[in-house]
Amino acid sequence: MVINAKFLNWLVTAFFAVIIAIVFQQIATSMTEQGIASGGPYNNGAAYPRSISIAIMILVAGQIFVDQFIASNAQKESNLHTIRDLRRPAMLLIIFAVYLGLLKFLGYHLTTTPLIFIIMLICGARSIIKLLFVAILVAFSFAFIFEEFLSVVLPGGIFSFNIPW
Amino acid sequence: MLLESLTAGFDLFFTPLAIGLTFIGILIGLLVGALPGLGPLMGIILLLPVAISLPPIAAMGFLIAIFVGGSCGGSISAILLRIPGTPLAAATLFDGYPMAQNGRASDAIGIAITSSAIGGLIGGIVLIIGSPILARFASGFAPPEYAMLAITGLFAIAIISGGSLFKGLTSGCLGLLLATIGTDEFSTGYRFTFDSYHMLNGFHIVAVVVGLFAVSEMALQIMGRDLLKIPDVKVARPGFRSIFLTLRHWKNLLRSSSIGVFFGALPGAGGVISSFTSYAIAKAWSKPEEKYGEGAEGGVVSVESANNATVGGTLVPTLALGIPGDASSAMLLGALLILGFIPGPILFEQQPEIVSGLFMVYMASNVFLLIAGLLVTPLFVYVLRIPKFYLIPIVLLLCSIGTFALQASVFDLMVMLGFGLVGILFRATNYPLSPIVIGLILGPVLENNLRRALLISQDGYWIFVERPVSAVLVTINIALVIGGIWYALQKMHIKRTGNDSGA
Repeated sequence: MVINAKFLNWLVTAFFAVIIAIVFQQIATSMTEQGIASGGPYNNGAAYPRSISIAIMILVAGQIFVDQFIASNAQKESNLHTIRDLRRPAMLLIIFAVYLGLLKFLGYHLTTTPLIFIIMLICGARSIIKLLFVAILVAFSFAFIFEEFLSVVLPGGIFSFNIPW
Repeated sequence: MLLESLTAGFDLFFTPLAIGLTFIGILIGLLVGALPGLGPLMGIILLLPVAISLPPIAAMGFLIAIFVGGSCGGSISAILLRIPGTPLAAATLFDGYPMAQNGRASDAIGIAITSSAIGGLIGGIVLIIGSPILARFASGFAPPEYAMLAITGLFAIAIISGGSLFKGLTSGCLGLLLATIGTDEFSTGYRFTFDSYHMLNGFHIVAVVVGLFAVSEMALQIMGRDLLKIPDVKVARPGFRSIFLTLRHWKNLLRSSSIGVFFGALPGAGGVISSFTSYAIAKAWSKPEEKYGEGAEGGVVSVESANNATVGGTLVPTLALGIPGDASSAMLLGALLILGFIPGPILFEQQPEIVSGLFMVYMASNVFLLIAGLLVTPLFVYVLRIPKFYLIPIVLLLCSIGTFALQASVFDLMVMLGFGLVGILFRATNYPLSPIVIGLILGPVLENNLRRALLISQDGYWIFVERPVSAVLVTINIALVIGGIWYALQKMHIKRTGNDSGA
């Protein structure tokens, strides 16, 4: 299966449509309730985001017009990717999202070494012992630099696992 | 006056921490510049969370040095691998790589580093002389001028940042919209907060920028097929002889540095345009026996001096007006804001010692670049041999710990990931990312001054054309849009004609 530029253009258009919808929904509800959706420049906190949203609407419409009627076929067919191409970035983002989700719960030390190890595996590296060594070294080096020199308290998780350097 | 403003920053700069971090910043800058896919902007973004926990001048020294070192570092991989580490060094390939092929890799790298440092110092002289003059001129500016200036900065970057005019402006507008999230300064109402206390101050700019640039870049890098490959790089040992080789091209050096400063001071133009322009001019003015494109020393001199002089030039409007010239200087401006300083004429009037400290760190960065660059380059050659599968997890880890360190907030991490996805979508559809950062930084400047201008106006929006400077800026803005549309139509016409004839 191939993902082409046309599909991606519609995706980005949908993204902007959602943003604009949120702006107008918030102006009609939350900002109106707070009394900041009307009045002069001082009180009207909605006029500026409304104007920006309208500008985005016009610009996106202009881009759709260009894509549909002016851009050449070569431009329309550019950025072709197969689902296979996207397998690795998708896996990376999923693993990264899981890591961020678990970071507070399990803590830095229990989540970071596996993250580094798995990302290197996704990249295609297969020397397990070497990868494990690098993962541990990188995770602990970063923890030492941030905790010791920059006084950052990294998440300890439910086990309160922090190293007293 | 000039001497006074310089001496005021001596005490702030001459501390072991500030000097040490400026030196480390140069090393990190050279490193991120040399590694293809990173670059100075990424270096600043990744280390911004580290910097904001430091004293102001040490922090800014660290970041400015990364900017300076990163702008030069790309030349190392361009010369040795034929892969420019950053787009800034793309034109260095033309003569740098042939020099390496002719067995002169050490000379090419030495000339690149020396030209960068001298170009940067020339940019620094313009910064020290030019920015106080510009700040004094801008001290008479009122809200209408600042509002129009913010629009000029945004338009210039959105239009010139590459790709479609519509896409550039849409990205800029998205940045402006993101800047409205949180508590409205005028009405004190909450906008787009969804009753979440996390959103009361909006998204943290670092979380947004790390996601947009770094996370999305790593997702793209992992698609590559060379993740396990160890590049074959020959060791290069540039020496101080390079200084003499470079100074033989002093006319070229001065001319290209001036071009770099000029383009740097124009919002949006940046290092890529200045380096290609200065290369083209140097080639046009060269003698036939110099053989540009086949390993001419002058080619490397022109490109490298121009792109580092651009850094000095871009800091002029950033410091004097609070209007960044490109995405990297926008991040420096963001760092200054986070550290509690508001760039612009007020900074020059009320805290001249900070301005002077910034001048000092910029000049010192370029001196350190010359020394460190010539001495430590063999180490960077070894760094180029690190395969990408080690770098991707390290960058992602730095993204997450750095973003977490801002406010010890998991919410910021989620924001980072969310904007990582937006960054991927935008890159895939050729929406430029830099205008989002500029919009995010200039958003509050634009909105606050626009609303203030309308409050003091007796005739609504006419206030913007009734005042001379504001009227000039309105004219420039209109000219930028018309020029942008004309350029876009021309580009489209050329592409269509090319495709038709190709078919």
